[in-house]
Amino acid sequence: MTRTGNPRLLGYATLAALGLLAALAVRRPELAVVAAPFALFLALGSRARDPGLEVTVELGAERTLEGDEVPMTVTLRAHRAIDRVDVVVELPRGVELADGEVERSVRLQAEEERTLELAIRCTSWGVYDVGELRIHARDAFRLVTWAAGVDAGNRLKAYPRPVALRRLLEPMQTQAFAGSQVARVKGDGVEYADIREFVPGDRVRSINWRASARRRALVVNERHPERNTDVVLFVDSFTDVRGAGRSLLEEAIRAAASLATKYLERRDRVGLVGFGGVLRWLQPGMGASQRYRLVETMLETGVAPTYTWRDVNIIPARTLPPAALVVALSPLVDPRFVAALEDLRGRRFDVAVVELDPVPLVGPGRSEVERAAYRLWLLDREARRARLESRGIGVATWGDDELDAVLEEVRTFRRHAHPVRA
Amino acid sequence: MAALPLARGDETFQAVDARVAAVAFIALVAAIVRGWPALVPVAVTLVGGTYAAELAVDDAPLDLAAPAVAVGLFLAAELAYWSLDERSRSVGDTGIGLRRAALVAASGLAIFVASSGLLVVVDEVRARGLALDLAGVLAAVGVLAACLATARGQSSSGS
Repeated sequence: MTRTGNPRLLGYATLAALGLLAALAVRRPELAVVAAPFALFLALGSRARDPGLEVTVELGAERTLEGDEVPMTVTLRAHRAIDRVDVVVELPRGVELADGEVERSVRLQAEEERTLELAIRCTSWGVYDVGELRIHARDAFRLVTWAAGVDAGNRLKAYPRPVALRRLLEPMQTQAFAGSQVARVKGDGVEYADIREFVPGDRVRSINWRASARRRALVVNERHPERNTDVVLFVDSFTDVRGAGRSLLEEAIRAAASLATKYLERRDRVGLVGFGGVLRWLQPGMGASQRYRLVETMLETGVAPTYTWRDVNIIPARTLPPAALVVALSPLVDPRFVAALEDLRGRRFDVAVVELDPVPLVGPGRSEVERAAYRLWLLDREARRARLESRGIGVATWGDDELDAVLEEVRTFRRHAHPVRA
Repeated sequence: MAALPLARGDETFQAVDARVAAVAFIALVAAIVRGWPALVPVAVTLVGGTYAAELAVDDAPLDLAAPAVAVGLFLAAELAYWSLDERSRSVGDTGIGLRRAALVAASGLAIFVASSGLLVVVDEVRARGLALDLAGVLAAVGVLAACLATARGQSSSGS
């Protein structure tokens, strides 16, 4: 701990010195009597010794959901009695105190242990270093302060809170492994597809006896097999549009985490590409461990400004498996991301876009020029969206609606859309 | 505390004393309101200075009010510093303020008793001249040494 003098220390020293010098100057012992208390307190204060304070900070969890409370325990123990210990909890941006006080003062006896129970809450997803404290211990005469900064180094990961989802986007093509998605091809499965004439080698249990009786020939049922799919979440991290307490990148990550969880629940393989100033990727995989890997990768996502042109060639090929559904989450503000989407579609990937609407966060401006620029920007967005749709990419705008409704919009588009050829 | 020399002095002294007391009051208020602890000793010095001036002008044998002045000036400084200490929004244990108030009150009482005793001793061994001068010089040197030690202590010392 670092020993510093309280302002009182210098003040009393000054007053004592001045009083005694004045007594000497005017030859009046009364002034020495007046100065004596200050000198006496100085003498007592100089005896203050390091209290030997030990501070530990413990978090109740290493991982949490944004908005959930996490208990935090601060334990204080002193080798010598301390008249007052001020404990100030320094919380990083994005973390707030849910229960307890940011600043607490306690008194400690020698070898006494005190525990302060607090609760913190992460207001948004991310990785936070929690447990930084400022400690000020004061002696009984408040002349000396022992200060220390404590950094317990507790890392708290706040996962995005899931967005309610009932149905997901179904990819056009399925993969080889068993899953929950009804494939378009025919094979062993549950979902009825068609009937055909019996050929040697067909299983008896697949014979459709009613149809066979009507046709007077053996007919077998054909079925669609249930397969898994590959889904790649393509998150735009070129720019983040913020305003009115919202961050579109945060919402994109929240939606991506929810989509990943839902797809993984139905045994699909899910991958991630954070496309922006820094490229982050995770190859498609399945299972609970993949979910944690995905979310942890998402937590690192941030905007790293860059002016270099980037295209999909920089994405590792194995991250984008053939016939994968690419679900893009973007405000469609940066042309590089829009070009990447067109490029992916050109490479015959199945692409769908959830557009996080930036328009409510951007004001039209005050001057005529600003308003004209705003209108041009809106028109440019319309043109950009129309260009994507003309290539068969379903685009749905996510504003205040639920994500489910937005996905339904994309689903409807994909049901009827086909590429337009010039 | 400024009232004591104000009541004792003549009209000219009173006029000056009132102005000095007003400045001291403003300094103290500024220190507390603005959070400037450096102004606390300024305010106390100004009031103590008027008392010293009154003692220098009035050639009384021994002022019996000195212990009260000592207690008053100490309490003024201590309460002002306490107020500055409490500027943080810290929530303390129950009774922490009461214990502090009791300590300050007990300190005031102890100072009054000790100052009175010191005054009695001074009255008994009063001998103007070289002895008092030497004692005063030694005391001043001691306090200056204490001030230097204090200044050194203020520079951080880790542990």
